[in-house]
Amino acid sequence: MSQIMRKITLWRAISAVIFAAGLWATYLRFFAGWRAATNLSDGQPWGIWVGVATLCGVGLSAGGFAIAGAVYLLGMERYHAISRASVMIAFLGYLSVAAGYAWELGLPWNFWHPIVMWNRKSVLFEVVWCIMLYTTVLALEFSPALLEKIPHQRIRELALEWHHRILIGLVLIGVLLSSLHQSFLGGLFIIFKGKVYPLWYSNYQTTLFYLSAIPAGFAMVIIALYLCHRSLGVKLDLGILKDFSRVITPLLVIFGLFRFADLARQHAMEYLFLARSETFYFWLEMALFIVAPVVLLNLKKVRETPIGLYWASAITVMGFITHRINVSITALERATGTHYVPKWSELAVTIMLVATAVIAFRWAVLHLKIFPRVEPRTRWLAEPAEAD
Amino acid sequence: MSKQSKALLIDITKCIGCQQCSVACKAGHKQPGDPEPTLSATAFTVIEPRGEKFVRRLCMHCEDPSCASVCPVGAIVKTAQGAVRYDGSKCIGCRYCMIACPFSVPKYEWSKLAPYVTKCDMCAERVLAGKQTLCAEACPTGATTFGDREDLLMEAHKRIVENPGTYVPRIYGEKEVGGTSVFYISDVPFEQLGFIEPPMNQPMPTLSAAALGEVPTVVTIGGSLLAGLYWFTQRRREVALAQVAEQDEKERN
Ligand code: SF4
Ligand code: SF4
Ligand code: SF4
Repeated sequence: MSQIMRKITLWRAISAVIFAAGLWATYLRFFAGWRAATNLSDGQPWGIWVGVATLCGVGLSAGGFAIAGAVYLLGMERYHAISRASVMIAFLGYLSVAAGYAWELGLPWNFWHPIVMWNRKSVLFEVVWCIMLYTTVLALEFSPALLEKIPHQRIRELALEWHHRILIGLVLIGVLLSSLHQSFLGGLFIIFKGKVYPLWYSNYQTTLFYLSAIPAGFAMVIIALYLCHRSLGVKLDLGILKDFSRVITPLLVIFGLFRFADLARQHAMEYLFLARSETFYFWLEMALFIVAPVVLLNLKKVRETPIGLYWASAITVMGFITHRINVSITALERATGTHYVPKWSELAVTIMLVATAVIAFRWAVLHLKIFPRVEPRTRWLAEPAEAD
Repeated sequence: MSKQSKALLIDITKCIGCQQCSVACKAGHKQPGDPEPTLSATAFTVIEPRGEKFVRRLCMHCEDPSCASVCPVGAIVKTAQGAVRYDGSKCIGCRYCMIACPFSVPKYEWSKLAPYVTKCDMCAERVLAGKQTLCAEACPTGATTFGDREDLLMEAHKRIVENPGTYVPRIYGEKEVGGTSVFYISDVPFEQLGFIEPPMNQPMPTLSAAALGEVPTVVTIGGSLLAGLYWFTQRRREVALAQVAEQDEKERN
């Protein structure tokens, strides 16, 4: 008991530090200005708020559409028990991306402009629309967790009944919207031709972003499920984690093969071994995102233990983040002649967003019916929730 | 004013680096301070010394500008009179235009709490009123001249042809990224003057258009495929259920 207490206080303390730093950084961003809060510059105007908060936030939420699609469209019933959790991970991911715009955008109060001011030529316009629509879809997919809380029985049943009717359509639209904007995020970089270091330029960046988001999304779901199991006492069929890890390896191999074939096609192979900092970052990305996960997940010890899967997934996620940072930051440094290292406050804001999502996730797991449970205290929820 | 698209012609052989253009531009746009060494939020144009030569830099006013094509809210537009103009009241501050510009022209007001993108607007209000740009007006040597795009292009060709051996046979801006509305001619090869070699001679927005063009196909094929898979799995399940029912039936009998 005292050990648990100590753990709780430790996490409390860490959270307190995270939020204090994040709020101080927020104060700097909004009242002291960009120079005080960021190391952004004309040569590197995006930095980690775009490179990590947006690109990784969206990418790591890819598990939501992949798992919902697998369960509802492909009929993989086995994963039904965790489909709501994965949808919630994605939903929180997108909400934090949207919240992140408050810091990222220069004129955040104009955030709604893309709704009424259209530029169909802009990849970013398409991304913004897909993300808005998909977040709505996720909210609807996730809504039963809240609808179940409606005290009035008739209304509750009616709402859930309606939800059940539109669910398949929602999942289908969700998969399409996700596929579109996961790839469009890569499409943002296609017009930077000439400014992007050859190891990260591709006019198939769309495909590369799509291919990399799915394994990273699965890794993220493994991490979240494992933590639910370990820290929140959720009873889970841990074999599911193993199943997901089995998907990750081939997907990463496909991504790696595509990546190298693409480099060869663009005659960028000669850059692979130059004595430059870019070379280091490239191989770091390869090591973390492809080599390490593939090797680890092939080891029996790793594959067969939840904790092994957890760490292999954590490395995959780190590799994924390295990839997105490389594409959005490292790749531009040489052409723009700007070396960028994020300021502490940029990191603090990003970490605060992640922490908020984690706390919301924890709250939801403890207070909503995210995982099917048959404990006495949730008995009154009855069962109409299970949508099929 | 003629309806023609306007442009600027910069003749590097004539520029003496006097900075009159920068001074006039700053004064006209109420920007503080002396001429600056590099483009910034308070300098739409600068003179960059390159050896013996002086290179004037400013927005190229591309014919099909990347900055305009990437802007999610259409805050940047190529106008009929040639200028590529920015409308701060639409801007959300995503800064995509800054990276997308192949010449790295747009700058940001990093020191402000409500920062806007800044770049040369080809003195759009003056030009609409039938006047020439401030920089062209201020230039004492005729190194910068203002006029109809077609006329200036002809003039540039004429100067190259009529002074054999003087100019390198290239008008920077005629073909680069599909053509611009600022032309340079020079007696020193452009790469020695620090001009970037643009990645292509077609408009850069064609690159994104290719990616976006695949959208309808992806949606149609992907959508039908998924619907098909769903139908298939449903069907399989129904068959399985029917079989189980049959089995039960048999067993009961
Ligand atoms: S030079 Fe850059 S800022 Fe100017 S019009 Fe072309 S793309 Fe836009
Ligand atoms: S910063 Fe403003 S002008 Fe530039 S692309 Fe974004 S919204 Fe458009
Ligand atoms: S055209 Fe006008 S805004 Fe542009 S550099 Fe010349 S004076 Fe400045």
